[in-house]
Amino acid sequence: MTTMPRRSKPSWSPIWLTCVLVGLTAAHAHAKDVLTVPQEVSLSADMSTQQLSISWLGGAAAAFDLIILRTELNETVFYETVSVMVNQESGRHQWNWTSVEPLQCTSLSIRIRSRDGQATSDWSNTQILQGSDLPSNAKSQMYPQDKIRPVGASTTFCCIVGEGKLFGNIKYSKTAMNETRLSRRSYAVTAVNQGLSGRTGTNVICSDNTDYLLDGTVVFVGYPPLPRDLVCVTRDLTSAVCKWTEGRGTNLYRKRGTRYSLNNRYHSQQTECSVAQWEGNWTLVAVNPLGRHVLTDSAELGHRVFPVAPENLNSTVRAWNATLWWRWKYDRYSSLALVCQVELTSQGYKTKRNFSGLGLRSVFLSDLNPDEDYKVQVRCGAQQNFWSWGSWSEPLSFKTNTYVPDSLDVWMWMNKDHTGQVIWKPLTRRQSHGPIRGYEVTEENQQPKLYPPDTFSVPINLTKIATAGGDNKVTATVIVKNDAGVSQPASVHIPLRLTDVEPHSVSRAVYTGRGFPLYWQRDDNATCAYVVEWYESFCRWDCTVGWIKVAAGNTNVSVESADFLPGVRYNISLYSSTSEAPELLQRWQGYMQELVPSVSVTLSTTQQDSDILLTWGEIPLVNRRGFLLGYNIYVSRGSQLMLLADWLILEILASLGITAVFLVIVTFVCYKKRKCLVHMVERPEWDSSKEALVVIPEEDEDEDGQGFGDEPADTDEPASLRYYNHVVDERPIRPRFPDSSASSASSLDSARTDVTYTGIQTSGSSLVFLQDSEGHQPQADLSFCGGGGGGGGGRGGGGGGYRPQMQSRALSDDTGLASPEPFFEPEAASAGGYKPQSSWHLDSPVEAEESVGLVPSLGSPTSVASTQFLLPDGDERRQPSSSAATWFSNLLSSTKP
Amino acid sequence: MAEQEEPQITAPDTPVPGPSQTGRAVALARLLHHECARLLQLYKEKETFFSDHTPDAGRIVSLSPDTEEPSTEQQVQLLHSALRQCLGLIHCVILKEEEEWGEMEGDYETMRMNVRLRLEHLLCSTKGLVETESMILEVTPDHQCNEETDGAGGVFGLKMWTYRVLLELVHWADHAAQTLHVLYAEREGTEDV
Repeated sequence: MTTMPRRSKPSWSPIWLTCVLVGLTAAHAHAKDVLTVPQEVSLSADMSTQQLSISWLGGAAAAFDLIILRTELNETVFYETVSVMVNQESGRHQWNWTSVEPLQCTSLSIRIRSRDGQATSDWSNTQILQGSDLPSNAKSQMYPQDKIRPVGASTTFCCIVGEGKLFGNIKYSKTAMNETRLSRRSYAVTAVNQGLSGRTGTNVICSDNTDYLLDGTVVFVGYPPLPRDLVCVTRDLTSAVCKWTEGRGTNLYRKRGTRYSLNNRYHSQQTECSVAQWEGNWTLVAVNPLGRHVLTDSAELGHRVFPVAPENLNSTVRAWNATLWWRWKYDRYSSLALVCQVELTSQGYKTKRNFSGLGLRSVFLSDLNPDEDYKVQVRCGAQQNFWSWGSWSEPLSFKTNTYVPDSLDVWMWMNKDHTGQVIWKPLTRRQSHGPIRGYEVTEENQQPKLYPPDTFSVPINLTKIATAGGDNKVTATVIVKNDAGVSQPASVHIPLRLTDVEPHSVSRAVYTGRGFPLYWQRDDNATCAYVVEWYESFCRWDCTVGWIKVAAGNTNVSVESADFLPGVRYNISLYSSTSEAPELLQRWQGYMQELVPSVSVTLSTTQQDSDILLTWGEIPLVNRRGFLLGYNIYVSRGSQLMLLADWLILEILASLGITAVFLVIVTFVCYKKRKCLVHMVERPEWDSSKEALVVIPEEDEDEDGQGFGDEPADTDEPASLRYYNHVVDERPIRPRFPDSSASSASSLDSARTDVTYTGIQTSGSSLVFLQDSEGHQPQADLSFCGGGGGGGGGRGGGGGGYRPQMQSRALSDDTGLASPEPFFEPEAASAGGYKPQSSWHLDSPVEAEESVGLVPSLGSPTSVASTQFLLPDGDERRQPSSSAATWFSNLLSSTKP
Repeated sequence: MAEQEEPQITAPDTPVPGPSQTGRAVALARLLHHECARLLQLYKEKETFFSDHTPDAGRIVSLSPDTEEPSTEQQVQLLHSALRQCLGLIHCVILKEEEEWGEMEGDYETMRMNVRLRLEHLLCSTKGLVETESMILEVTPDHQCNEETDGAGGVFGLKMWTYRVLLELVHWADHAAQTLHVLYAEREGTEDV
């Protein structure tokens, strides 16, 4: 209430004036009552929480001014007006204040006064909370001790230096902190945003001015508990086992560690608790000095069955199956519907099989393999309301019994003289069903012969039988023995009759990275199965054979073998497999990977006036390492190489009857510099010692910058030849200078001719080709069944007899495909699945005519060089004797200036 | 600093009597001294504040010889008594530390166990050297581990006390090596061990 000053009419009535005075007096008296000076101020300190509880008698006032000062330095720590209601029971006011610094750090003075608006009472008497820095407590001290703080918190520490000591510093771990002086002997520092401490806490050390340790304390910084995954299960169908995980680590251990209570009754510091009876509802309380966390779980007993491990696991073992049985620890399991899982480990592989049943105690394991080691473990779960698989049993190992072996996969190899081998594939462990004790081989009408376990082929000699006539075949039977008995007999029919018949054609098989995919025509009349056999083409005698059997009705198979080698030609044969002798139906040849030939051709020359006759020998099949597509011939003059032979345009005469040597007549045309005749005058003799054939490996790329684009030979190449090279092969033509170490001729300043293999096919081609003149004639008759004899290159077959090479030919290393290898041009072969690898086209007239001649090709992997002076005789120059020569002559003539 | 190869520690047993028994005791004491020094070093590395601290307090283990000039054998008997107290102290350190932070498996804890076992072994050795019919020596720890540690009994006090114990171990292990060496010199007639 406020008084109002009188202004215009000072003559107030006496009654009114009296009322005002009474009112003012009453108001003043009331104010005096409210603003009583607080009395009986008392202090209560909780050192651990650093909380100071202040209480007083404050009359009717509801607001008070509180001031807290550090007693020694008279510094204000706290000064605020607070609203505090009187406690109706005690009649006292109470207010709590939490100090930033530990309350022991220094003495604090507390005063209170009442406040009503702007009016205040007098201050109360000062109450002092004595610190530990009193002179009577002369030793050095550090506070707080053993504080536990959450990560990220800030903590103030104080050091009371001992009497007579001088403060130096306070280090938090290794970090010196900025201190605040609290009193004559007390200093404080504050660590902010504290990180996790070590397991033994973070040391806070107070040192004097000489760095001598005065006192210290340890603070533990961690997290409140945060457990997870509370789950209660039953193992005996009565009690409960509750488990949980600690979750985030608290970094607090032992007496500072987390304590758990389950349903407020079961206490533990572990993360597991057992309860005698299932209770259905569970409450886990986790508590540590930094906080608490509550987890709950709720479930019926039947929904939380976690079976114990099956005990006393045992087995009854047979060859193909076994029975497992076990016992349960608790009788109540006998009435529990269970699903059990058997983990079967064999050969390093694990499989699981599930079984179910009421109180399941045994299972039957079928589909095992004989003579095999197994390890089994069993675990179970409740079939109804499945909660989890229970514990695994102890592992049990057993070995199944042996059993008679599987039947063998038998085949044979026959040489041309009616000798050969019966061969079979070794049984795998899964096929042998126990250790093999030996083999028993029976030729038709002969006594069985026994062979040891490491035998996989036995020789046969049918010479007498074959010459005696009679049946077309002999049947060999092989059985294999182990401890359990003998296998079913496996037979192979060995043809006795030789024929000179080969298949109509031999196709090329193309390796695709995994194998040779083969396709053949379906014979609707044939109901027999097939055998696909392969062996190295150059093999002649007792060859190593691979084979697979293909079920009837199939018309394709992929021939795969880890034994395939690059650069080796394989003969792959398709046989019918019937009750008669095998019949050769089709044959392929192919390389897993074609390589550059491993040897050079042997080159010889004969001078015939102005003509040079070049002759070179055949490359043995084993050295070809790929299908030969032709030869390139280069003429070398000095440092220059000129390609002469793309070059079926030149006449090539092959010796057809007696040798496998190619005869090439080169009509050399000095189309650029007629003066090249001079050399011949200077050195007319033929130096046969300079004959040389040099292999020049094929280059895919000009990686070292020595490409032929820079070679002078290219620059001297006639434009027409360059054009021709371009059109027949996208790749740069790269005649090579033979290495000087390989050819002395390379350094001679004389004309030189290089003969180069061309066009190595690296992959992806399958070209049907006719049999060459060495006996690869089309098969005369494929209608027979049971002939063939299953043999390789030399065996021949058909009509129940052999089909060797044609004996009229001289023996050659290459009886499969003699060189030159005739084959259809790619277009003609497309029906047979052939896809030429390169983009070459047979666009020269000669090539068109010589469908069985050399395929023109470029890009030589091999170069052969001979040194010879050439002396063209213009007057007696022979005319090219073939249309090829004419074509080439015309070509060159067109380039002449 | 590379960890030194430590000999395999086995359970203490009665040393085989013989002329080299004293020499073996000297070697054992020297090894113990080395390991105690290493243990102290590891503790300093763990609790960095002790790097150069020398406590004001005196010895934890002290001896009061009955005679003013004890013989070497008597000195070894006194040494044996001191070592029993040291064994009690290291037992107590292990007990209190594991009580405070649980079992740990660091280098410090490993060396701590080594020292304890080595000390037990040395006690068996000294017992075999100087025990007589009239002077039966015990090899059990002579410390009850029920006293308060330094300071206010807080963790820092435990650390300070542990540090003092480790210093004590170094001191008495060194003392043992010297005293036993004197005995060795007397008995073997040579200074070289």
